[in-house]
Formats: sequence, C-alpha cells, structure tokens
Amino acid sequence: MSRERTALIAVALVAILGAVWLLVVSPERKQANQLSAQVIAAKSQLASAESKEASARTAQSQYATAYAAVVSLGKAVPASDEVPALIDQLTQASNQKNVDFNSITSGGSGSSGTSASAAAASASSALPFTFAFEGSYFALEHLMRQLADFAKLTPKGTIRVSGRLLTIQSVKLAPSGSLTSPNKLTGTVTATAYTMPATASPTLTSPTGSSSPASSTTSAASSPTAPATVTVNP
Amino acid sequence: MRAVNLIPSEQRAGASVGAGRSEGVAYAVLALIAGFALLAFLYGSAHHQVASRRAQAASLSAQAQQAQSAAEQLAPYTSFIALREQRTQAVASLAESRFDWAHAFHEFGRVLPSGTTISALGGTIAGGAATSSLSLSQSSSAATAAATATGATPAGSIPTFTVSGCAKSQPTVALTLQRLRLIDGVKEVTLQSSASSGSGGVSTGPGCTGRDATFSATVVFDPLPASSAVAAVAKTVSDPDAGSASASSTSAPSTSAATTTSTGVAK
Repeated sequence: MSRERTALIAVALVAILGAVWLLVVSPERKQANQLSAQVIAAKSQLASAESKEASARTAQSQYATAYAAVVSLGKAVPASDEVPALIDQLTQASNQKNVDFNSITSGGSGSSGTSASAAAASASSALPFTFAFEGSYFALEHLMRQLADFAKLTPKGTIRVSGRLLTIQSVKLAPSGSLTSPNKLTGTVTATAYTMPATASPTLTSPTGSSSPASSTTSAASSPTAPATVTVNP
Repeated sequence: MRAVNLIPSEQRAGASVGAGRSEGVAYAVLALIAGFALLAFLYGSAHHQVASRRAQAASLSAQAQQAQSAAEQLAPYTSFIALREQRTQAVASLAESRFDWAHAFHEFGRVLPSGTTISALGGTIAGGAATSSLSLSQSSSAATAAATATGATPAGSIPTFTVSGCAKSQPTVALTLQRLRLIDGVKEVTLQSSASSGSGGVSTGPGCTGRDATFSATVVFDPLPASSAVAAVAKTVSDPDAGSASASSTSAPSTSAATTTSTGVAK
C-alpha cells in the first residue's frame, strides 16, 4: 500500500510538472526562439539598408564630379540639336586648320539648316548633316582629326570632350576649281550628330531641400558652366 | 508475559526508509517545489529572452527603416550616378565605333608614289546610315539601368574609298595599287580602270597631262570593330574647356612623307 502510494505521488508529481512545462514554459521558449529568428532577419534587413544608405552617401559625395561629367557629356551629346553651337565649333575648328567652312546642310535632302530644328523637335536622336569645307589636302585631314577629337576616348579610358560628338559617314574630296588656289579641295563631309533623349534627365532633390534639375545637358553645349571639379588631362 | 516491541513502528525492520510519519508525502512536496523552481527558472529565462529579443528586433527594425529612409532620400543621387554611367558608356561607345578618317587620309598621303596624282578621293562607310540611334533609359534602380548607343557607323560597317587620279605610266598605276595595299587597315584594293591617253583615244582626266594614265581604284578597309569592351572601361570624362589647362585637341600626323607632285589633290 505504501509503495503504491509513493508511485501514485510520483506520477502525480510528474504530471503536474509536465503540465506546467507544456502549458507555460514551453510556449515561452518557443516564442523566444521565434523572436531569435526575427532578430536575425532584422539584422539582415538592417545590413541591407545600411549598405544601400552607404551606397547612396557615396553617390552623394560623387555628385559634383558626376554633374561635371554629365555637363561635359552634354557638350558632346546635348539634349537638343544645338545647331548654332555646332556651327560655332565647326567654324572655330576650320579657322584653326586654315580651312574654309562653306556650308552646312541638315539631313541628306539638301534642305537648309533651319530644318535641323525640326529634326530635333521630332525627338530624333541622330541628326545627319552635310558639311562643305575648302582647303588643302592636309588641312582637311587635320580638320578631320579635329572633328573626331571633339569627343575622344583616350587610351586610358577617359572621354575627352571639347565639342560635339560627330560620326563621319562619308567624305568626298574634289578639286575646288579655284583658279587662284589650284591646290584647294572641296571636302564634302556627311556626318551624324546625336542628341540625348530628354526623358533621361531625372530631377534631383538635395537633402537640404532645394530641387535642382539634372537636365544640365540642355544648355551644356552653348553654356559650358561646369563646376571646377572637372578632370582635365594634360 | 507478553513481549512488547519498544522500537517505534516506523523504525522497525521492513519499514520504508525515510518515509517517516508522512509516508513520503514530504519528499513529494519537496520534489514538487524543486520542480516548480526549475520550471520557474526556465520560464523566467525564456521570458527574459523574449523581452530582450523583442526589444532588439524593434530596435533593429527602427534602425533599418531609418537607413532605408535615408537611402530613399538620397536615391536621386544614386540615379544620377547611374545616369552618368549610362551616358559615359553611350558616348564612349559612339566615340570608339567611329572610323578614323584623318588617319586614313594621312595614310593615303603617305603611301602614294611620286608620279601619281589624285583627282578625286571619296570615302563612305557602307551599311551604317540607317541604324544610328542613341537610347538612354533611366530607371529608379541603378541595377536595371541600361544604355544603348548605336552610332551611324556601327560595328561591322565597311569603309570603302574610291580613288581617281593620274599616273605617269601604267607601271606607276601598278605601283600605286601596291602602295595602297600598305595603308593601315586596308583589306582589299581593286582597280576599276586604268587607261592612258594613247590607248583608244581615252581622254585624260582632270589634272592629267600628256600621256598620263588615268586610273580609278577602290580601297576597302577592314570592318569596324565592336567597341563594347572599350566602352565598358570608360569611367571618367574630361573637359579641356572647363579647366584652365586647355589641352591641344589633336596631334596632326606628319605630312613629310608625301612627295608626290599633285595637280588635282594638293599635298
């Protein structure tokens, strides 16, 4: 009888303790484990967010340099046709190389330069032009070099921009027929200039609250007001 | 006489050891108390972990949200950097995909033999005029940004020159054709025609004199290479006009090699 009683007490004891474990302690420990998983997930989320923030801060610190680069690139590929600036650049280059810049024709149809604006207005990203120059063979050769160097990729991988990016598609050299200068040639150059799609310009909101449009390429070709952080390669 | 056992009944042999008067109930109570104490300790420990981890998770979430908010606030800068990368690659690709016309003209001047005169020289790049495009797509995510740039002279386009001129004799024409093959990047030189003034009454060309042979040849260059690899490394942009140190834009090739006396094309 005494042994049976002891066994009964032991069973009751185990039952009570087991019930308490199952009903009280175990759920709490389970919750603790679940929260441990949540903490790990939150840590991962925090690391990701901090990485993004660090990347954004780096981008912020590079903004001045990037802005200068975009402005410079806008000189090579502006947002609009910028035909006046192109004419200025061609005239300047021709004068430097002792070449006469005779004419510029938009497209291949022989229309006047005013139709270049119409071409740009139709959101065309490539603007074909035909230029006519007059000069000696080597002067024209040097002019070709000058036109190519308006936007040039250096062997170091740096893009050096000093004017409009032009892709020359054809060149024809023929005697000019000038009696006073028999060595002069007429060079007819068919080339393509490019414009940047306007939709590619985002609007920047600085942390200080001021808003500045990043579409600096719109007037970059005619007003090269780049910040002083532009890299200049000797 | 009747024997009387004076040993207490709980201490007699055969009785349960330690049961005492409560017959083990006291031990059971003690075990119960000990068990409860252990469970209370485990519960308390778990409860403490729950509380601390809950607070930690909340704190981490708040920090993550703060960082996320800061990143979103600075997102325009990230987008602008991506835009810069796109434009740089696009311009680099366009610049690199061009044919070097100046070098080609320099080479023509370098290889032509004496006694040869060029009356007309024209070059064109076949297959490039219809596919010029410059496309820049701006995305909120830098990872999805894409830039495509196909110039007016895409990769694979073939520059072709047509040369017309005069030579002192037919052997000079042959020499000219051989020299034209020495031009850097030339793939093929094809003679279109060569005729002297004394052969069948063919008139001399412009700039030709006497019994000069007029000739016409086609010079085909190698196809333009792809420029994707070069464009990928272009990272910086320099602007000579923006700085005080204005770099000379070109280094003109030497012209001393040209020795031909030319009437049509001056050298």
